[in-house]
Amino acid sequence: MLIGVALAAAVAGWLVAAYFLWQGVIPDGLRLPDVKETSLFPTSTLSEAETYERFVRWDFVVVQLVVLAVVAVYARIGPKFVRESAAGPIGTGMLLAMLGLGLVWLLQLPFGLAELWWQRRHDVTDASYGEWIVSGWFGLGGEFLFICLAMLIVVGLAQVVGDWWWLPGSFAFVGLALLFTFVFPYLIPGQKSLHRPALAAAASSYEQQLGLDDIPIKVQDVSGETTLPNAEAVGLGPTRRVVLWSTILRPPFTLDEQKVVVAHELGHHARKHLWKSVGWYALFAIPGAFVISRVTRRRGGMRNPEAVPLGLLTLIVLSILATPLLNVITRHMEAEADWVALTLTQDPRDAEGLFKQFTYAAHADPSPPTWSYVLMETHPTGLQRIEMARAWQAREEAGP
Amino acid sequence: MQRMVFEPPPSEPPAPWEPVEQPPDPNRHPIRVVVTDDLERSRLTVFFRLILSIPLWIWLVIWSIGVFFVAIVNWFLTLIKGRSPLPLHDFFASYIRFTTHLHAYFFFAADPYPGFAGKPGYPVDVEVDPPVPQSRWKTLFRIFLAFPAIVIAAALVGAPGGGGGGNTNYQDQGTSGTDYAYAASFASGFFLLSILAWFACLARARMPNGMRDLFAFGLRYGAQTWGYVFLLTDRYPDTDPAEPAADVPAEPRPVRINVEDDLRRSRLTVFFRFLLFLVHLVWLVLWGIAVFFALIANWFATLAMGRSPRALHRFIAAYVQYTVHVYAYVFLIANPFPGFVGAPGTYPIEVEIDGPERQHRGKTLARLFLAIPAFLISGTLNGVLFFVAFFGWFVGLFLGRMPLGFRNVGAWALRYGAETNAYFLLLTDVYPYSGPWEFAPPRPAPPEPEPEPAFA
Repeated sequence: MLIGVALAAAVAGWLVAAYFLWQGVIPDGLRLPDVKETSLFPTSTLSEAETYERFVRWDFVVVQLVVLAVVAVYARIGPKFVRESAAGPIGTGMLLAMLGLGLVWLLQLPFGLAELWWQRRHDVTDASYGEWIVSGWFGLGGEFLFICLAMLIVVGLAQVVGDWWWLPGSFAFVGLALLFTFVFPYLIPGQKSLHRPALAAAASSYEQQLGLDDIPIKVQDVSGETTLPNAEAVGLGPTRRVVLWSTILRPPFTLDEQKVVVAHELGHHARKHLWKSVGWYALFAIPGAFVISRVTRRRGGMRNPEAVPLGLLTLIVLSILATPLLNVITRHMEAEADWVALTLTQDPRDAEGLFKQFTYAAHADPSPPTWSYVLMETHPTGLQRIEMARAWQAREEAGP
Repeated sequence: MQRMVFEPPPSEPPAPWEPVEQPPDPNRHPIRVVVTDDLERSRLTVFFRLILSIPLWIWLVIWSIGVFFVAIVNWFLTLIKGRSPLPLHDFFASYIRFTTHLHAYFFFAADPYPGFAGKPGYPVDVEVDPPVPQSRWKTLFRIFLAFPAIVIAAALVGAPGGGGGGNTNYQDQGTSGTDYAYAASFASGFFLLSILAWFACLARARMPNGMRDLFAFGLRYGAQTWGYVFLLTDRYPDTDPAEPAADVPAEPRPVRINVEDDLRRSRLTVFFRFLLFLVHLVWLVLWGIAVFFALIANWFATLAMGRSPRALHRFIAAYVQYTVHVYAYVFLIANPFPGFVGAPGTYPIEVEIDGPERQHRGKTLARLFLAIPAFLISGTLNGVLFFVAFFGWFVGLFLGRMPLGFRNVGAWALRYGAETNAYFLLLTDVYPYSGPWEFAPPRPAPPEPEPEPAFA
């Protein structure tokens, strides 16, 4: 009875928190016009984007299956690697978690290389195979350090509070997520100041309209790595900034299109999307940690390092299951940032031009299959974004 | 052929009054270094050693040019006949003996001026077995197979260094190539150490026996490497410091290594070994910062009290122990993932560190400067450790094992590093001992001089 009440209270609390995090500025009941992609793009462009993305999609699916298979096998055989450790439970937990990640990385390698080959073939990236492997290797080193910190928290807490580690542990992870979001702007390499007076002036104007403090606009030099256009809003409070990839400051993107990008990223800051992301993370991390603690009890709980491979499997299964839901959330935030950008720039034509350029430059399929949309798309599709621009314009023309 | 040379025919048993010649150990390497040096040094020849050795270096260059061409001939003949012809074998044996003598002289591992012909009888000498049949495949790819050994020898003695004429490999590059080769020799770890030896020999008229044994090991490895390159044998050079015999240090060691490793290696952890080490690297840095402040406190306390306070000693000793665990792990000298507290008795490669003892205040005062030579020696051994780990990574990945020689030479380097750290961090005032005394058999005592006849 008590457990049922507690569970009901937790679910209710989750739903209330999710409701408040979901609230945004996109008008309720906004209807997007039905735009045909063939009316926007030549058939050859659509065909090329479809061909390009088909390979990427299936590569993604195969990678997910491989990852699942690897961690499933590792959940069975992983505990035998305990004999390769002379450390205590925390150190042994670290070793087992790192080996699990290492195996996943190793078996993903051929598929990653295949995707790189495909990107190079379509001029989406300039990265060489060697660079890609080396950067992946160092990236894996970073993942190893992170997983060690996670094991220090989880296995360390489990030594003290047993199967209740999930409660303080999930709060510790939320704290880490906050910290990481806060310091992330300092970890982005190759940042320079923006030397485009017109764009900088527009950014200042948008900041004033949004009631934001002065937020630095930085340019990240990604030449030699990729030709994809991108930008991001990063940081919290005093570390907030907008980072534009150097690729988006080059033709074919016009100044007005670049203004839309800046307005979109400032929209993320204005709508406190980074804080909300941490909030959403908390809403998934707390029940996720609880599920892991329940599942791993059959191997003695996370106080026992032999349970770590099973915990890793549970984490990855939960992550895959949560992906569609997380994609819904990020798409909602991106759509809201698009709406803010349209409101700020009052320029639906250039917004539409920008979204069209993404299809040309990144071979992004403007209208992907539903399963791909659900599993892979963290942003609204190109077509949806164009439809939103037209919906905003129609709404403006209709008047209040 | 081998049996005929070393063993009497079974049908003719030796007469009971004749001494029975022991058959050679089949496991012993066909190229060995024998050390009969008495550590005594003439200050005068030590002082002028560099200049005195110039004629020997000139002769080495001339001889090396000949060796280069003869090596090519020898390679073809060995490939055709399956063994090196005896005259050529003797020619290369003399050459390697001469270069070993020269390097021993130059590095102060021996005192007498060596001859120019590479004849046996020098205090640091090379024994080479007669030629035996060799694998033609190994002969065909010899220069490639020898690459790891050449790299390790270069880390110790220098690229063309001790016990061989690797400079011949550079002859096709003209004079500048030869110059480069000798420059590499002089930049080697042993060259730096020989400067330390020069000061020690000048001051004491005696070579420190640990350092002499370290040089002897390097010269032996170099001789085996170049013997392998010049087709004297197809037996690979042995990195195990088990040969030649080494002196046991006179005083008890406050830092001792304990090896219980079984040589087995997990292929998966070998593959990711460097990345698995990263978390320990972070912890090493954090702990190291604390140790830095502990060292300052320990220095003042040891200076005042004449011994390290027990709590500080325990804290710093745990750090030294932890460094041994972690470096043994990352350099593949041991297999299991180490713990984070440096607890004794938890790892297959670890050091035993004695508790706090009285320390000489003068040595404590000047510890930073006194430790510099030890750090230089440690740096040389760490260079070997690095290459052992590099090549051991491939071996471990394919065989799931670490070669005994790699493991032992790595353990030696770790022990010396731990001794150096313990000395620098004021855990002891006993100076680190550079000889591989734990891994090599003790050198037999010199024979007692015959008593003078009573009537004399």
